[in-house]
Amino acid sequence: MNKYDENWEQQINALLDGELGKADADDLKTAATDDRDLARAIVEAYQLQQVMDDIPVERAPASLGKRLRAIPREQRRTAGPWLFQPRWVTALAVVPLAIIALNLMQPDTPSEGEIAKARQELAIAFAYLDKAGAMTGRGIESTVGDTMSDAITGSVNRAIKLQNETYKEKEV
Amino acid sequence: MSRRYRQWVKEYQHQAWSLARYLLKDAQEAEDAVQDAFVKLWNNQDKIDPERIKPWLMKVTRNGCLDRLRRRRENVEFNESHMAGESSGPMQDVAANELGGWLKRAIEGLKEPYRSLVVLRDVQQHSYEEVAGMLELSLAQVKVYLHRARKELREQLAEVRP
Repeated sequence: MNKYDENWEQQINALLDGELGKADADDLKTAATDDRDLARAIVEAYQLQQVMDDIPVERAPASLGKRLRAIPREQRRTAGPWLFQPRWVTALAVVPLAIIALNLMQPDTPSEGEIAKARQELAIAFAYLDKAGAMTGRGIESTVGDTMSDAITGSVNRAIKLQNETYKEKEV
Repeated sequence: MSRRYRQWVKEYQHQAWSLARYLLKDAQEAEDAVQDAFVKLWNNQDKIDPERIKPWLMKVTRNGCLDRLRRRRENVEFNESHMAGESSGPMQDVAANELGGWLKRAIEGLKEPYRSLVVLRDVQQHSYEEVAGMLELSLAQVKVYLHRARKELREQLAEVRP
């Protein structure tokens, strides 16, 4: 074969696989008449193919068939009862979770007694708040009042005192 | 046992076993490897596209065989060199006048993925597309590798043929 070995190899393979078009097959045959190595390669490829075709696909021994047919039974046994199979365990775990979730989502409806008690507690709370509010209001009033009166009387006193001192200085 | 599983066993056990036999060169271990593959098939049958059962099974069988080969790599290397020694004695093979037997050993002596390719395509005669799916290779890779494998076998055949 020549420098196009790789191409010829591909052509030979295609020929054996029945994938080579008629024109390409004719080209190959023509080339083979002038190229002894190529011709030999084609012949060898055919011979190999022939030997390959004569190799039967070995049949599996009967013992294997028996082992393979036993697989479903063995797998079911090793998997244990159906309740312990992963998909069922998961499904069973989901059930209580779903029940809890549904309970949490349910609106809470109180009884008559609970409502009466709540109303009573609310009335006490409001009364307390009213009282506290009144006390706080008085506290604020007195604090603000003191501060305001201090601010006013303090500044007036300081102004009078300053004025007196000015007069005294003038007299002197 | 499901009817379809029984059908799969009937249809594919021979091809799976033949592939495992070529890869492992040990009948007992080949049986174990095929059994492992069918256990996986049984456990995953709902997840596999029914149209892709055969390529899936062959791929799993092959991967299982390669795992086993990896685990016993040192032994296998010894065996391969031992077998290569046997098959490299063409006169001995020709004298035995058993070209088919010689070719089997020659195929067993190929490296991966050439060996699987030759078994799946040339011995079991799956289509290129099926082989590509089984070996997770592109169509172009399958063609190139197969062409190399065939060339190697052809050269070996030329040596043993008168």
